[in-house]
Amino acid sequence: MKRQDLAHLMIGLVVLAAAVALPFYVDSRYVIGQVTLGLFYAIVASQWNLLFGFAGVFSLAQMALFGFGGYATAMLCFYFGMNVWAAMPLAAAATVVFGLVIGAACLRLSGAYTALLTLAVAQVMYLLIVTDTDCFIMVGTQCRQFTGGAVGFARFGDLGTRAMFKAKYLVANYALVVILFTATMLFTWAIIRGPIGLAFRALRDNPGCAMARGISRFQMQLLVFGLSAFFTGLAGGLYAAHFNAIGPGVLSFSQLFFIIAMVVVGGIGRLWGPLVGAIVLVAADEAMREIGEFRSLGLGVIIAAVMVLMPNGLIGLCENIWDRLRRLRTRGPALATEVSGDTPA
Amino acid sequence: MDIIGPVLVAGMTTGALYALATLGLSLVWGSLGMLNMAHGTLLTLGGYAAFTAASQLGWPVPVAVLAAAAVGGLIGALIFMLVAYPLSRRSPETFETTIMIATFGVALTLENIVLRLYGGQPLGQPLSVGGSISLGRFVLPWQNLVIIIAAIALMAATALFLARTKAGRAIRATAQNPDAAKLLGVPVARVYLQVLILSGILAGVCGVLVSSITQLSPSLGADPMLKAFIMCVVAGLGNLPGAIITSFALAIVEAVVQFLAGARWGFPALLAIVILVLIRRPGGLFGRVEMRRL
Repeated sequence: MKRQDLAHLMIGLVVLAAAVALPFYVDSRYVIGQVTLGLFYAIVASQWNLLFGFAGVFSLAQMALFGFGGYATAMLCFYFGMNVWAAMPLAAAATVVFGLVIGAACLRLSGAYTALLTLAVAQVMYLLIVTDTDCFIMVGTQCRQFTGGAVGFARFGDLGTRAMFKAKYLVANYALVVILFTATMLFTWAIIRGPIGLAFRALRDNPGCAMARGISRFQMQLLVFGLSAFFTGLAGGLYAAHFNAIGPGVLSFSQLFFIIAMVVVGGIGRLWGPLVGAIVLVAADEAMREIGEFRSLGLGVIIAAVMVLMPNGLIGLCENIWDRLRRLRTRGPALATEVSGDTPA
Repeated sequence: MDIIGPVLVAGMTTGALYALATLGLSLVWGSLGMLNMAHGTLLTLGGYAAFTAASQLGWPVPVAVLAAAAVGGLIGALIFMLVAYPLSRRSPETFETTIMIATFGVALTLENIVLRLYGGQPLGQPLSVGGSISLGRFVLPWQNLVIIIAAIALMAATALFLARTKAGRAIRATAQNPDAAKLLGVPVARVYLQVLILSGILAGVCGVLVSSITQLSPSLGADPMLKAFIMCVVAGLGNLPGAIITSFALAIVEAVVQFLAGARWGFPALLAIVILVLIRRPGGLFGRVEMRRL
């Protein structure tokens, strides 16, 4: 085990310990609720980071995948009367298929083109849901659209934690999200350290050699796109089940860029970047709630300023300071090249 | 058959607006390799600037339009100096993606400033012309005619500027090959600044035109910008006449689809066209596919 892995493992254990300890020290339902929400964001952000930071896919369809997972879960429960627990994995599998279709259409291109097409796909999905007014079924005297229309779905079934844990059900849901978050981080780590991660490193360091050895960028990116869609869709399903509601709001532009802002603030291409970004931004969001009107404005300034002033995010900033301290101590210029040549993971 | 006229008029009008938005966007994208996510916000700012000048300060119409152009150009220049230039200097290899995120942050900021200053309720743009001319059964509202003529005039002026003036030649040279241009003594950074100012001016006026047939709202520019992106991709980069033809053609297709299948299917139809075009021709209809050597 390399030193870097050991460091990640230690950080992971500390984060997990903090997450487990939180409900024992904090009693406020509001705080637990916000932390749960933050973890949902962190899961989606970590998958976007995997796509953009490691695989180099600038996709703007991440919230569309999240929404697809949520909607699929809600619709399976609503129309087929399925149990939420059975619906979530099915919905996640469906999200993978959806993601592969989007990926097959969009990943032949690169850079800004991919971004535009994925954004267009997400926008079309949003528009078609919001403008859906045709009656699909009648519920009582009310007309229901197939996609739920502008209001979405609500009360389609819950996780069963409310019946089992009574008043403590929020903590139980929180525990479920922590488990999903842990699984997501383990998955992300495995991808980065495994053959796929090596393939991307090869494609970045020497594309000609990598392609000659039979590594196809398109296939690799599509693979990562599909894999990351699984956890994004699963998170969407759990999100829908946790709130027992899902609406077109999750597909909005501002939600998507809240996720991207987290990755940017935390550090693009850093394993723990999305978590750091999620913590910082959710905290900043809470702080700016006092001056509620300036919330989006502040978010915009943060995104632009961080991008220009510290493009590697908070983690990149810490790495820089750490490097400088180390260089001061050893006074050896050889170390500097070793550090900058190493892949930040 | 009476319906063909109105659908065609609607298609031509939105086509002119899309073409103008696309022109500004693809100028910047083609020469700096920068996808300006704040382009739509420049449209919005132009619309509100004209509104302020005309109805709050009481300036005459031409001055109000000039004010819109000036605000667009100024913000364009600021975006280059404060965001694009520092980013391109520090990390040229990741510029393509970082600039999208950064300009989105700028867009979010500016849009919220507009929201704070003017409120979220839609406002009427005072710069509009009433009435219409009818040729037999064919009715053409003056407003639409003004938009089409103004857009075409602006595009012609831009084309002349790029083709005939020294500054225009420098812009084209830089877009083709920034290194060669630099070697021949073209001040590349200043050319980039000029491109962003030009794009901002076009966006400002385009915003006035867009708001004159719809209404002023802080998210005014979002829809034309998304459409302009699509036009750029379908047409391919680096071919301005191609981009303009594509804009008109796709706008008419959109109008027809909206008429036949309902308004909500216009945008999905455009998306389907983009994907089909890109599968057949990854460089766009008019773009050249660049062979890259490793």
